[in-house]
Amino acid sequence: MERVVQRKRQWKRRWCWAGVLLWPGLPALAHDPVFGLGPHTLFKGAVEVHVGVDRSAAGARDQRVATLELAYGVTANWTLRAELPYLARDGAGDGLSDFALATKYRFWRRDGLGVQESASVLLRLKTDSAGRAQGTDTTDVLGGIAYGYESRKWYRWAALRYLSRGETGAGLERGDRLLADLVLGIRFRQTAYLEPDWVWMVELNGERTGRDELDGRRLPDSGGTRWFVSPGLMWTWRNFAVKTGMQIPLAEDLDGTQPETDYRARLELEWHF
Amino acid sequence: MKTRTFLLAMFMLAASSVVMGDGMQYELRVDGLACPFCAYGIEKKLKKTTGVKTVAFDLEAGKVIVTTEESARFTEDEMERLIEEAGFTLRGMTERELP
Repeated sequence: MERVVQRKRQWKRRWCWAGVLLWPGLPALAHDPVFGLGPHTLFKGAVEVHVGVDRSAAGARDQRVATLELAYGVTANWTLRAELPYLARDGAGDGLSDFALATKYRFWRRDGLGVQESASVLLRLKTDSAGRAQGTDTTDVLGGIAYGYESRKWYRWAALRYLSRGETGAGLERGDRLLADLVLGIRFRQTAYLEPDWVWMVELNGERTGRDELDGRRLPDSGGTRWFVSPGLMWTWRNFAVKTGMQIPLAEDLDGTQPETDYRARLELEWHF
Repeated sequence: MKTRTFLLAMFMLAASSVVMGDGMQYELRVDGLACPFCAYGIEKKLKKTTGVKTVAFDLEAGKVIVTTEESARFTEDEMERLIEEAGFTLRGMTERELP
């Protein structure tokens, strides 16, 4: 009996880490939001090399993830992406994490003078390639839909995503997650083509996570709702982009006893060829 | 005889360059050009196309100025396809021979 309780405690600790810190790192193209989802796709034949670094802290826990992503524009409306993250956690070692594949399809676009509105759908499959040590030990599927308005001065985005999380090898069913994003961006100075370009953003990111289940019972210290306000910045020059932002908790309503998020930060470098 | 042939060839080359000019300039009206980073797709698509020499942008006016080598000619349909593959919409095109 004691062994069962111990095992459950271990799982709780492990999945607190994973649940709090491994939020879905997403294929975010430049001139998409930093944390939310945008509708951008690559031009036909384009290759994108993307390097991202995420850092997050919750209580005494600190995690860093570096991700290498490669994307290809099959058409101007359809992009394929592969992601390979490298995970480092305090006291838990580091190594390659779960490999993921994603595809985004832009199903609607309306162009005007200096304005582009569009909407896309996204599907992402995170494999279980790293197992328990550096991964989530689950195969997860993420679906999303995003709308974006982009002009010479203003940017607006809205997105909904649903993350369906699989079952671990030990039978833990992780709660699914619903994510919602609203983003506003502004370019204070309208730059010419070969000038460095700055866009400032503020995002509102919401997450609702369901309870984890083990042996048919819902774990009390899992699930809940988080809201973040996230200032961010996009800097681009011709075919090179830098994006950075920080998620600051606005409100957290977590079930049971779970560490509250201190912050999440992201830095991304991106080249288009 | 050789000198006369060379002079004749030079004259014909000079005359042809006067008649054909140094190439073409196309002014494209493109919708959807909101940011410089996204416009790179147009530069890349056009510069990969044989005969294109330079590509310049006037983002405020939604214009893309393309110059070509003297032998290269593009129809509006060809330009429309290239712009569409870059993720934008061609609204119109004017062309003129460069002096």
